[in-house]
Amino acid sequence: MEYGLKPLGREKLWLLALLMPTLIGLLFGALGSVVATVVLSFAKWDLLTPPSWAGTINYVSLVTDQKVLLSLTNTLKFTALYVPGVVVISLLVAVLMNRKLRGVSFFRTAYFLPAVTSAVATALVWNMIYGRDTGLLNFILERLGIPAVCWLCADTAMYSVVVVNIWGAIGEGMIIFLAGLTAIPREYYDAAEIDGANDVQQFFRLTVPLITPSIFFQGLMSTINAFQAFDYIYMLTRRGQGDSSIPVVVFSIYRNGWYFFNYGGASAQAIVLTVVVAIFMAIAFWLERRYVVYE
Amino acid sequence: MKMRLFTLTVLVSLLLTACGGAAAPATEAAPPAGQAPAATQAPAAAAPVEISMMMWGDPAELDVWNQIVADFHQATPNITVNVEVADWDSYWTKLKTLLAAGTPPDVFTMDAPLYLDYQSRDVLLNLQPYLDKNPDLLKGVYPQTLEAYKTADGMYGLPRDFQTIVLFYNKDMFDAANVAYPTANWTYDDLRTAAKSLTKIESDGKVTQFGFYSDLWDMELIWSEAIWAYGGDIINADHTKTLIGEPKAREAWQLFHDMMFVDKSWPDSTTAGEYGGDPFLAGVAAMTTIGHWAVPGYAEAGFKWDIAPMPKGPAGQATSVNSAGFVIGKASKNPDAAFEFLKYVLSEPAQKRLAELGFACPVLASVAESDAFLKQPTPIDQKIFIDSLAFAHMKPVFKGYDEWSSAIGDGMATIWTGETELGPTLDAVVTAADEVLAKNK
Repeated sequence: MEYGLKPLGREKLWLLALLMPTLIGLLFGALGSVVATVVLSFAKWDLLTPPSWAGTINYVSLVTDQKVLLSLTNTLKFTALYVPGVVVISLLVAVLMNRKLRGVSFFRTAYFLPAVTSAVATALVWNMIYGRDTGLLNFILERLGIPAVCWLCADTAMYSVVVVNIWGAIGEGMIIFLAGLTAIPREYYDAAEIDGANDVQQFFRLTVPLITPSIFFQGLMSTINAFQAFDYIYMLTRRGQGDSSIPVVVFSIYRNGWYFFNYGGASAQAIVLTVVVAIFMAIAFWLERRYVVYE
Repeated sequence: MKMRLFTLTVLVSLLLTACGGAAAPATEAAPPAGQAPAATQAPAAAAPVEISMMMWGDPAELDVWNQIVADFHQATPNITVNVEVADWDSYWTKLKTLLAAGTPPDVFTMDAPLYLDYQSRDVLLNLQPYLDKNPDLLKGVYPQTLEAYKTADGMYGLPRDFQTIVLFYNKDMFDAANVAYPTANWTYDDLRTAAKSLTKIESDGKVTQFGFYSDLWDMELIWSEAIWAYGGDIINADHTKTLIGEPKAREAWQLFHDMMFVDKSWPDSTTAGEYGGDPFLAGVAAMTTIGHWAVPGYAEAGFKWDIAPMPKGPAGQATSVNSAGFVIGKASKNPDAAFEFLKYVLSEPAQKRLAELGFACPVLASVAESDAFLKQPTPIDQKIFIDSLAFAHMKPVFKGYDEWSSAIGDGMATIWTGETELGPTLDAVVTAADEVLAKNK
């Protein structure tokens, strides 16, 4: 797994010089906040009076706090639905976009558009689509003789929100997969065709194995994004003062830290979230060693 | 590997010390606790002073405040006020960050219910020494608007404007349904009856016009008013017990519930969300209850509307009074200049400008009862907002308000979407709210 050229002699110096601005930023920005968060997760702090040591109380109370547990469950549910959805659909879209279609650049742009549009603005449009009495989707369903569905009510909201999030993420996934697909030499397909493999066989026997690095990368990125998902969910399910009918962990952190004067508890939740993501990453890298093929 | 571990240890310890350093200013600001600062040099010396003022608000509000600040500078040339503005949500995050860093603005706006969350954490300047020196300052101010800022050792904040809640109604819808306009003698039963006759339900069960809508997340818009009118209360005097589940309060909740789910004259929260959260403004609800801040927006609605006082309940008439005010950061280096500005905000010229803005009611009686406030471009009887003070209850102010009100707002939300039953949910909400109160004691 060694890539590219190795820097030699004076190049190393330049390399370091060019990396310095980012490294310093990461060290004092990112690492600084990480360390501060760890320390604060063991403190009782309301932001206004000096913090005091609280031991593991913040962590212990997470386990008994129904609201926190609910938000953690919601985040896990969301991730379980969102990650496979994004990977599969954006791979399929990428395969379609990789063909010689008329107006392919139009479709590529169309699929990528959500990635560069303000999530708040698009969520407002989705609200118009999902509305129970005034929504576009129910209007169409009723024309087809299907009874209207309350898309953003308790039992369906999670799925409706996942759909919007997947829709918003297809564009970026498509770009990753397109890059992977164009790297597969044309000759492999020619050879497969001569051997009599049909399109479906080609896809599963040739494309999928050769694109595993992209699948791995996309799975990793989607998982991280899923744990941080906030904007669409909030805009589609919000109630008063930072509340939502599908509270996810990020909401819970935000509210505890900024509304409830409980910065210590918010930090503890952030640490738990980080640990959960880290476990997923560890699993992903283990899978990578077993299944991902690098040419 | 060893080397890397060493570097990491050094870095972590460096960062830890850096964090420790950042916390220091906050403690340094603590020593001059309680008593009067350098308030003795009362005559504002000619030395130029700059103070910062932070507020929430939209562009229209900012324009007016810039004007007030310019007027103030003209009257007091040695003091310059630098205005900083943010929208409501980011205002509080920004303020808390600045306070945590020990560099708060000299003057900042405060919503009365949240005041004690800050005052009790010792980040506000006690204004009492200044008020004692200016005994006439609060003479013309409505006493109902001062109540929220009083503490055992004096006032740490002053109101700038206030809100009372009144009933807004769509005259076009009343005319079309041939229903008599609301009067000052209306009861909640009258409201319910009228709402029912103003509701239009299609043959397939779809409601195309609602009689009433008000938001039920925060207490200010309808539920505190109705609970008071039914003879109940919100919270006990020492803020240890939530009273919204007591029998009389339950009558008010039952009324909302029945209007929503029996009469269908009040859209549930999912439906209201489809109309941008304000079905009255969207022209699909005939009545709503809201404060003066809604007037500029409603003035641009495409229908005729008017206002009436809140309805009466079995225990009489009730509305809610809430104020926005100004406080001075305890860490302010120019408290004298900052107080000069607060004084100016309560002066007639500044209160007149606020009245013209039309978002709120001035706290200075002489301005609120003058043409500056009563003769605004929107042709409604502005006096109703002022007269409502006669039966207004103060929106509760206590430490932990934000978390407590969220416990109630979030907890009750499932009733208003139709997912849970009123009775058991209300019981659970009261328990959860009381836990928050115990935690914030």
